[in-house]
Amino acid sequence: MSPAYALKRCGLIVYTLLVVSLIVFAITQVLPADAATMLLGENATAEALAAVRERLGLEAPVWLQYARWLGGVVQGDFGTSLRTGLPVAPLMMEALGRSLLLALLSILLMLAIAVPLGVIAAVRRGRAADLIVSVLSYVGVSLPEFVTATVFVLVLADWLQILPASGYVAPTQDPLRALQHLALPVLTVSVILVAHVSRMVRSELVDVLHSDYVRAARLKGMKPRTVLLRHGLRNALLPTITIVALDVGYLLGGVIVVEEIFAIPGIGRQLIVAIQARDLPAIQAGALIMAATYSVANFAADLAYAWLDKRIQYD
Amino acid sequence: MEQPALTISGYSLDYLTPRGVHHALVDIDLAIARGEVLGLVGESGSGKTSLAWSIMRYLPGNARENGGRILLGRDDLRAMAPAAIEEIRGRRIGMVFQDPSTSLNPTLSLGIQLAEVLERHRGLTRRQAWREGEQMLARVGLKDPPGMMRRYPHEASGGEKQRVVIAQAFACQPECILFDEPTTALDVITARQILELFAELQAETGVASLYISHDLALVSRVADRVAVLHHGNMVEQGQVAGVFGAPREAYTRRLVAAVPRPDRRLVAELGPAEAAAAPLVAARGVSVEYGRPSAIARLFGRDRAPVVGNRAVSLDVRPGEIVGVVGESGSGKSTLARALTGLNPFSGEIVFDGRPVRGIADMDGAYRRDVQIIFQHPDSSLNPRQRIGEILARPLRLHDRLPGAAEAARIGELLEQVRLPATYAGRYPHQLSGGEKQRVAIARAFATAPRLVICDEITSALDVSVQAAVIELLLDLRRRHGTAYLFITHDLNLVRQIAHRIAVMYRGDLVEVLDAQAFSAGPTHPYTRSLVAAVPVPVG
Repeated sequence: MSPAYALKRCGLIVYTLLVVSLIVFAITQVLPADAATMLLGENATAEALAAVRERLGLEAPVWLQYARWLGGVVQGDFGTSLRTGLPVAPLMMEALGRSLLLALLSILLMLAIAVPLGVIAAVRRGRAADLIVSVLSYVGVSLPEFVTATVFVLVLADWLQILPASGYVAPTQDPLRALQHLALPVLTVSVILVAHVSRMVRSELVDVLHSDYVRAARLKGMKPRTVLLRHGLRNALLPTITIVALDVGYLLGGVIVVEEIFAIPGIGRQLIVAIQARDLPAIQAGALIMAATYSVANFAADLAYAWLDKRIQYD
Repeated sequence: MEQPALTISGYSLDYLTPRGVHHALVDIDLAIARGEVLGLVGESGSGKTSLAWSIMRYLPGNARENGGRILLGRDDLRAMAPAAIEEIRGRRIGMVFQDPSTSLNPTLSLGIQLAEVLERHRGLTRRQAWREGEQMLARVGLKDPPGMMRRYPHEASGGEKQRVVIAQAFACQPECILFDEPTTALDVITARQILELFAELQAETGVASLYISHDLALVSRVADRVAVLHHGNMVEQGQVAGVFGAPREAYTRRLVAAVPRPDRRLVAELGPAEAAAAPLVAARGVSVEYGRPSAIARLFGRDRAPVVGNRAVSLDVRPGEIVGVVGESGSGKSTLARALTGLNPFSGEIVFDGRPVRGIADMDGAYRRDVQIIFQHPDSSLNPRQRIGEILARPLRLHDRLPGAAEAARIGELLEQVRLPATYAGRYPHQLSGGEKQRVAIARAFATAPRLVICDEITSALDVSVQAAVIELLLDLRRRHGTAYLFITHDLNLVRQIAHRIAVMYRGDLVEVLDAQAFSAGPTHPYTRSLVAAVPVPVG
């Protein structure tokens, strides 16, 4: 990948975010009630509404409101929360940090489970082990999160009492307790994702093991282990990178139920709170931050892919 | 007598399929001495490749061996445990595969793939193996071995990759090497160079080689002895000159007779009136460019130089004439066909029967009726979900709109014209053999009674005997309908048998157009000369 291309991709990310910001801003504009009405309620007097509108700058033309908001955003200022009266940015960034930690640990655990399972299923294709892996991973993906989470809480927190059932501790405060608190949510999320990736690894590896170059490696007398790892798995894992990047998106927004059950104040939970409170600046910030994280994750996946597969040449 | 490097005796192999037992190999006997090259020829399905897998002990789960011995030196390969076989593969038996672009791992450098063999079998360290690998690459005639070691497969040409594969096979000085169609996927001139390398290394190392190929002319050039397989049976085995020059068995005679020989012309030359006739089609400066900038490239306002498919090609085809177009892959042969049929936008002009055609918009119903095309792979050009009758009805409905009964009768006629039973109309393409499918594709092209039929590598996927029958059919159709052909092929021997004139293309340019006699007398352009020199001419 050439530096020029990397620069261009960064430009595209900015472009994407600009479009997202337009959409997010437009949605808040077409809502039937504006920020002032939401703040003061349906029964507010016309004078009070006008005063608040004056204070929030809602009287200005729409494009000027957008420009002001965007101007703040690029400086890291997403405005003031209508709910708490505090700046939105620090709140959302903290929440994002917690969600990213959850996401990262979940992905690591998921890979540690899913890749070996996929390899076993591919190597023992059509036999009992393949069937068991496939049934187990489908059970994992088809059970709703709250069921999986409840089972884990019941077994590990309630009966065995080895892990705390809920709550969040910042790793900067107490790393060990932080990990203990994260263990159950990470386990729950990983179980959901394992099916995805193990099926992907399995089918890719089955294809690769049937390829001419794997046959050539076998006929060169390479040991089965070398054939499987160096020639097989390495190539089979490439498409998995893309899947993992897509999962990042799910992990940021889609695990609200898990964050809710385990009382983790992640970005998904913050966004729900903001939507319930009609806290427009917080909603805008949450949506934009998630879009940015998602774009960066995909970019990182493309970089990793190009690094591992030299045929991929972005220009 | 010295023990042969490889001995196979009384070996039989079956495959268990859902439709019953398939006898892949029946009672095979052969032996290859040190320093000898045994050519193994046969058509697809004859068991050539099955024999290679048997020797490599790389058989699928449904294979059943019914007795016989495979000896490497004095060691019985069939009696060996899998771990012992792994030790032997790559060390005592090497293999060179058909397509170097799929038999090399795309994500590992060429150096790693060569060095790993040396590490595995000769116990070298990575550093020693790397140095040894560089020497091997120099030995197989690659320039800049250290640079080549660091390259990835996609950064090397087909010929360079095949040299690396050959280096792998020779790396551990094996006693025996199996060559499975090692030049089939390469261009003519590259193939010639690979063959020269093979002969050189063969003489130098004294390895015993089993050279598998469907190309009789090529085998006659490289092999000392030849074995002919037919439906899993060893039909004939002996010295090359004997087997090909004076075949004893009927099957071998048929096979040898089907091989195209440039000196045996299959068409009558054009009379003076025909040769002077106004062209049916005249391409005037036809150029095709591929690759439009993507939406993103346009967004960033970047211009990309388009890829040239053809550059200003001018070529005439007279009524009833057969014009051959030859050249390597990527030379623009098929691009020309696609421009003439309106599958690609082109610049320049095509004059058809005196009428100018400047673009796809000018190609009206009459033009489409008159100009038909047949593609290389009938498997992809026939809709697998339509019956043969429906496939043949499409052009009839488009151009003729016959009433139902007349249409059915016409479909029967079309099938019989290509020597297929009319009852085939009710069948699906997958129920037909490769040659039969190609006949259906020919019948479809002739449904509209065209005046020009473009044949784009239509026999390349077919066995040599099937190819001979298809060519005979095409010539027969031409005699009946006076059709002109633009016959695109990479098979120089074939085109010299049937074409009145031969156009040579190279990297998008039309290098020269020669009539058949001039071609035999000796072409003038250096590229054409190297092309002719690279093509093996059959013996016998």
